[in-house]
Amino acid sequence: MLELRGVTVRYGAVQALEDLSLRAEAGGITAILGANGAGKSSLMRAVSGIAPVVAGSVRLDGQDITSLPAPARAKLGIAHAMEGRRLFRQLTVEDNLKLAWSFGARRVALSASLAEVYDRFPILKEKARIPAGLLSGGQQQMVILSCTTIRSPRCLLLDEPSLGLAPIIVQQIYGFITDYAARSGITVVIAEQMAMLALKVSRHCLVLRRGRVVLQGPSDELRQGSDGKALAASYL
Amino acid sequence: MDDFFFSLLLAGVSVGAVYALIALGLNLTFWTTKTLNFGQGSLMMLCAMLTVWLSSQGIAVALAVLGSLVVVAALGMFIERWTVRPALKASSGSMGWVVSTLGFGIFLQGMAAKYFGSQAMAFPDVIFSAQDYVTLFGQFVSLQYLVVLAVAVALILALELFVRKTVWGQAVQAVSLDPELALVQGIPVRRLVLGSFMLSSVLAGVAGVLIAQIGGTVDPAFGFDLVLLGFVAAVLGGMGSSFGALAGGLVVGILSKLVGGYVSTAAEHGIAFALLMLALAVRPQGLFGRPEVSKA
Ligand SMILES: Nc1ncnc2c1ncn2[C@@H]1O[C@H](COP(=O)(O)OP(=O)(O)O)[C@@H](O)[C@H]1O
Ligand SMILES: [Mg+2]
Repeated sequence: MLELRGVTVRYGAVQALEDLSLRAEAGGITAILGANGAGKSSLMRAVSGIAPVVAGSVRLDGQDITSLPAPARAKLGIAHAMEGRRLFRQLTVEDNLKLAWSFGARRVALSASLAEVYDRFPILKEKARIPAGLLSGGQQQMVILSCTTIRSPRCLLLDEPSLGLAPIIVQQIYGFITDYAARSGITVVIAEQMAMLALKVSRHCLVLRRGRVVLQGPSDELRQGSDGKALAASYL
Repeated sequence: MDDFFFSLLLAGVSVGAVYALIALGLNLTFWTTKTLNFGQGSLMMLCAMLTVWLSSQGIAVALAVLGSLVVVAALGMFIERWTVRPALKASSGSMGWVVSTLGFGIFLQGMAAKYFGSQAMAFPDVIFSAQDYVTLFGQFVSLQYLVVLAVAVALILALELFVRKTVWGQAVQAVSLDPELALVQGIPVRRLVLGSFMLSSVLAGVAGVLIAQIGGTVDPAFGFDLVLLGFVAAVLGGMGSSFGALAGGLVVGILSKLVGGYVSTAAEHGIAFALLMLALAVRPQGLFGRPEVSKA
């Protein structure tokens, strides 16, 4: 379980998150919705330890991790797939995976972990020795997701995994994410701009606007009725 | 082959390998922080002078070298912590580290002059003396030159193997490509940065001892030109590339010795900078510069 209490993130004069609190339970997906600039990425960066948090606390399964540097948080099991398809473009696909595994929990042997990834995404096996930056957007997203899961994380943060991908690829990616979330039972948080998609796969949902939570609740309730209108309104 | 040319060539290859070692040290910190430790020249000098001093106190030469390398490694840590980190913190992307690392180097040089005096000191023979020769292709070849060459090349190969084949080497590459991504992937970036400064200082120390071995003497001003020549080698080979550093070092070493031999020793170092200007104009990414990998 991931818990934020009164978290404020400030970049110089810009306040990206203001007194934000949330609870993301394990065993389900929590969606963070909001327009561009709402603070979704800042929230995730505050959790993984690379945002300037000036107030509040972050807890992972009850343990206060607010003062831990990013690598220590990663070691505790926080895996963050950053926005903008960040991977080591010059390293091969397999080197990206190996590196992620090496600095992860190492609960499963490397060869078995790689086999599992290649089993799930056979195309990555074909491209194993190619620099990751040369892959298509969808394939890169597969590498990035695999880099997070190969670490055997306790908490998964996915920042706009659908961004810039064709609808059919988005479906495939989201199929993998929901599958993995159900199978592993860990805490999964997804930031999305595509509201309907995120609401469909998530159990709980928060809508951000200018660094604050403006709406939250069970995803199926938000999808329907008056809340649906509220959702649309909060995007304007 | 004519004797004079051959001896120049050998000397060039030998000092060139040391320039490559210096370039490699510059590369190391460039990988982790995109900064260069211009205090390296003084670390070379200090390592060589400390070796002279320790061995004059009756310590075995090998131990004296080892002890000096430990001191230099500690200074590398100090440089990262107190000159580079504050400069980068003040504003990332600023060039404050150029001044602060160079300034610390000048401070070390001043301290060395104060405590060891500014006279040139004779450097002890570490393995072979200047009188030891072997015959290669009918030419006399100084064993000292060969040892220097062998040590430099072995260190370069070891570093290249480390970077390519080990997890920590890959982690260094990862930090050089995207430090933030490295952080969230659990790579202890801080420790790697510190380690890179220590290792880079050790490489400088080794280079200092090797050069002093060839030259036979050290003085506090020693090392200043050398780090600039190492810098030229690094840029020539492509900043960040290990084989580039080796190639750049050899080119600088051989060319400067040939110019020194056939034209004038006064032009020996000048030619390196002429080369640097030419290289920057014709091929700014260097001989082995890494192109950006991205999807077309
Ligand atoms: N590194 C940064 N420096 C300054 N301002 C930033 C930085 N990152 C984000 N911001 C600002 O913080 C706000 C929230 O951004 P972000 O968290 O990226 O939102 P989202 O991911 O929802 O698009 C925006 O106003 C953005 O301009
Ligand atoms: Mg974002």
